[in-house]
Amino acid sequence: MKDDQLRKKRLVYYKEDLDQIDKLLEEFLKLSNAKCIFLIDKEGHLVTSKGAARNLNPETLSALVAGSFAATKEMAKMLGETEFSVMFHQGARDHIHISLVSERAISATIFDEKTTVGMVNLYSKELSSKLEKIFDIAMRRVAQDVPVEQDYSDSVKDRLDDLFKE
Amino acid sequence: MQINYAKKEISCKLVYYGPGMSGKTTNLEVIHQKVPDENKGEMTSIATEGDRTLFFDFLPLDLGRVRGMTTKFQLYTVPGQIYYASTRKLVLQGADAVIFVADSQAEKMPENIESLKDLQDNLAEYGIKIDEIPLVLQWNKRDLPSALPVEELDAKINWMKASTVEAIAATGEGVLPTLKTAASLVLDRLNAKTPGAPPPAAAAAAPAEEKKQEVYVSRVNHDQISRSYFNQYCQLQYRINAKSVPVEDFKKFTLEEKKKLLESLINYVLILQDAKKRNIKASKEEVDKQVAAFVKRFNSQEKLDEFLQSRKISLDNLRNEGTKNIIIGKLIAQVIPDLGERTKITEHDLRAFHESNAALFGGKSFDQTKNEALAAYKNHMKRALLEEFYGKLREQARIEIFQDKL
Repeated sequence: MKDDQLRKKRLVYYKEDLDQIDKLLEEFLKLSNAKCIFLIDKEGHLVTSKGAARNLNPETLSALVAGSFAATKEMAKMLGETEFSVMFHQGARDHIHISLVSERAISATIFDEKTTVGMVNLYSKELSSKLEKIFDIAMRRVAQDVPVEQDYSDSVKDRLDDLFKE
Repeated sequence: MQINYAKKEISCKLVYYGPGMSGKTTNLEVIHQKVPDENKGEMTSIATEGDRTLFFDFLPLDLGRVRGMTTKFQLYTVPGQIYYASTRKLVLQGADAVIFVADSQAEKMPENIESLKDLQDNLAEYGIKIDEIPLVLQWNKRDLPSALPVEELDAKINWMKASTVEAIAATGEGVLPTLKTAASLVLDRLNAKTPGAPPPAAAAAAPAEEKKQEVYVSRVNHDQISRSYFNQYCQLQYRINAKSVPVEDFKKFTLEEKKKLLESLINYVLILQDAKKRNIKASKEEVDKQVAAFVKRFNSQEKLDEFLQSRKISLDNLRNEGTKNIIIGKLIAQVIPDLGERTKITEHDLRAFHESNAALFGGKSFDQTKNEALAAYKNHMKRALLEEFYGKLREQARIEIFQDKL
């Protein structure tokens, strides 16, 4: 793979961006009264999350959200749309609101009867446009080389060996 | 891949691909079983009633902190059945590596090949070529009676020369080595020091990169020898002449070796130029004959394929070598006529040759090995005359060598 292509494929989040993002997410939770929010990239990796999520594996949730978002996108295509920007799943107690953020991320908000889907939808739209600006700046930043240590790869292999020890 | 500096975290996506029932989910189950609880999440399957994967299986692995970076692998499988093509494509999005789990059984070959084709198509939709993405082929179900030999699987499926691992996923054998191979393919790229460094698997990428700005190592009269061509020549000579060549290895030549090889390449270019002047050509029939003679040395097509594959030589390479041999042969016949006439070989000369090359004849007496000595002497003379001929060509030629470009 070409190097710049590889760079584009790597989603890199720097601390200054994430600090800003975290602040926006906290603000959103206060305004919308939702329980928690996850920011997930389209490939299914969790970027960051805020709020109280009990007994929830964020990695698995991220994979499922990204997967179902991708599946809905295929549905959208069949209707002649590029993608659906909002998805909503209603449960008996908890509900989940999924919304597209810029080209590369998805937010998943979990909320209950303390608020309404309308409120969540309203504030997540606002959130999306704010996050979009941050992503935009981050994307345009010149990609830096990843400062991992030289023997990182070997160390990972050793760790895998350790994990598999009977 | 996501690199999160704020959390000091690297997260990679590995996708297990392959035909239905080849053992993709089993791979994940084995990993789930063996890895301690604190390093893994729940294994999530979106499965149909028949226990077959519908959308994907998912297993998050957390290796903890490695060299200061929390390292995570997200393992996915795709549904194998043909009719889930669209969901396979979705899961593949953003994959950092693909592990293709092939069923080794002879009767499953068509399914393996179809699935690999499907992988290639789906990757293409994301603009990725199958020989560019980190790819590991797992030859699974090695324990079954109808499992094909690894060489055959390699020949039938692994045209992209990916890394391979043998496995019996049901007993856990080979599962970890497969995962490790995939992990290192992904992470070694991360470690590539310079931005322009080609990934290790893509040796072919080097000449392509040089094409952008051709670098020449030598000029012979009006012909320039590009570095990429020279490198190809070196590798080819090495592979043709070596007794055995490790498949994954490209030989690194020392400067001295390169100089020597460049000299022989220059001779080759000179002789071709001279042959052109004399209008000496090799016809298609002659080349066919030469190649056929070579092929005949192998008892079967498989043996030939095996040989070619083990050296990464194509039939075209063989034909080129054949053409070269024919042209050189004809030229020699023209410029160096029958040795017996040109040089009178006396018994005295022959005895002297025998004596100074005693080692060649295993210490046997001159009378015992007279015929062999004569053949060897003729050969020796021929080579000397050829050298002399090259010398003459070189005297008349304009040859430049750009040593710093070697």
